[in-house]
Amino acid sequence: MNHTALETVGLTRSFGGLIAVNNIHLNVEAGSVFGFLGPNGAGKTTTIRIVLGLIKPDRGRVMLFGQDLSSHRLSILGRVGALVETPSLYNHLTGFENLEVTRRLLGCPKENIENALEIVKLTEAAHRLVREYSLGMRQRLGLALALLNRPEILILDEPTNGLDPAGIREMRALIKQLPAQFGITVFLSSHLLSEVEQLASHVGIIHQGTLLFQGSLNELHAHQHERLVLEVDRPAVAMELLTQQGWHVQREENNRLTVSSQGRKDAAFINSLLVREGLKVFHLSRQQPSLEETFFQLTGEPTAGDPT
Amino acid sequence: MNQLLPALSSESLKLKRTLALWMVFIAPFIVILLQFFILYDRANFFAGRDAWGVLMYGVTSIWAIFMLPLFITLETALLSGLEHSGQSWKHLFAQPIPRWSVYAAKLLTVMGMILVSTVVLVLGEIGAGKLLSDLRPELRFHESPNLTMMVRMATMVYLASWILLAFHTWVSMRWKSFALAAGVGVAGTFFAVFASGARIGKFYPWLFPVNAVSTSPERMKLAILLGIIGGAIIAVVGCWNVVRRDVD
Repeated sequence: MNHTALETVGLTRSFGGLIAVNNIHLNVEAGSVFGFLGPNGAGKTTTIRIVLGLIKPDRGRVMLFGQDLSSHRLSILGRVGALVETPSLYNHLTGFENLEVTRRLLGCPKENIENALEIVKLTEAAHRLVREYSLGMRQRLGLALALLNRPEILILDEPTNGLDPAGIREMRALIKQLPAQFGITVFLSSHLLSEVEQLASHVGIIHQGTLLFQGSLNELHAHQHERLVLEVDRPAVAMELLTQQGWHVQREENNRLTVSSQGRKDAAFINSLLVREGLKVFHLSRQQPSLEETFFQLTGEPTAGDPT
Repeated sequence: MNQLLPALSSESLKLKRTLALWMVFIAPFIVILLQFFILYDRANFFAGRDAWGVLMYGVTSIWAIFMLPLFITLETALLSGLEHSGQSWKHLFAQPIPRWSVYAAKLLTVMGMILVSTVVLVLGEIGAGKLLSDLRPELRFHESPNLTMMVRMATMVYLASWILLAFHTWVSMRWKSFALAAGVGVAGTFFAVFASGARIGKFYPWLFPVNAVSTSPERMKLAILLGIIGGAIIAVVGCWNVVRRDVD
């Protein structure tokens, strides 16, 4: 049975009367990659900051590894790695020295630095000043900082934000290998649906501070209603007929109709109904809505386009 | 202490290649250089006096009135600026170390740096005196320098400056703006010129370092006492204020 790595219970936090997160109940299974998806300003970063103890919630609590963050902050943070928005780096130090600054705080062995550099493929650039690093290298160094403590859970806030397509690809490849290779649970926030789709096994959708959906990607797919697309000789008649039968029908261009349906049995039934009533069916296909459309349905907003 | 040492060790590494580190040596050197040229240029004027005394009081006065308060402002702002510019507070405060240790390490680091500057200042006085005695034999550097007096004066100035150290550490950590931190320090030092003549000037923190070497024993004791006690209180309150705030 899977156990829970991260759980939030009724997290609520407002800033100056504006509710940033509202009664958030998250449940992140150990070993999963949890994609925390939402448009900019949805409350993702606020949630992450609360989870890391950087800000306090007005109500609710955070449980990591079954322990309450408010009473076990230090022991919990010792098992957590985090990269919140842009990485926290000292430009006047080398990549290695940046890691050494954090290593001294953590008190972990020096070999952890070499290992982290190796994972993020920065071994060769380790002794260059960080001010000479590209954005992608900075982000990877930020990831190395988060991995330094060999964490059990990695919390990444928009880890590919601001990167060029090559940087995004590199970062995603790195993140993807972590659960399988090192047994790390990953909790990552993103406003890019395709990113979550590529990386995550589980997803939570947040919008205007409220969690709208939480579950596995498969559950999200199951949540979606497929559509039948029909092309008939007399669409008005077909529309009336199907509406009378209780179907939700929409008129499209070129004598086409779309019908909300539950699956293949509906397709067969509708086809035989229309043929029996003397209509000519030129086209009938089943369409799964994309995750993007589901996201749009849930949030009422389109997601940003993915640059890759 | 076990929790403080890692934070201190981490802070020390951050100083590498920074202006803040160079300033530890540059700031006292500027003061020494200034007093050196005053004595070198006006050797005839000072010829009849105890040159070590003139050098020591001249250096200590410039240091305590102007350089030290401004230097503390600069150092605290530069050290906190490392975290503000790198957006590092969120990273530091998400580490498994007590938040107070991050604050305390910052304060102790800057206190250590000012202490090193104070040592550099004393060494510089001795070096400048030796050099001047060779270059300007008319100056009366005949006897050995009064090392005890030099160290005592420098130590008193340093102790009295703790209140400024604690205050500027808090200001620079609490607010992101370098201009604000610098502005507060410059304003504090500037108004010290006017406060020095006022009766309540003895309670003005930016005057504590210079009052610590005052000829009035009452002013001297008050400056050192308030410098240390006020510094401790501001350190505790400042730390409490910073660590309980939301981290940007």
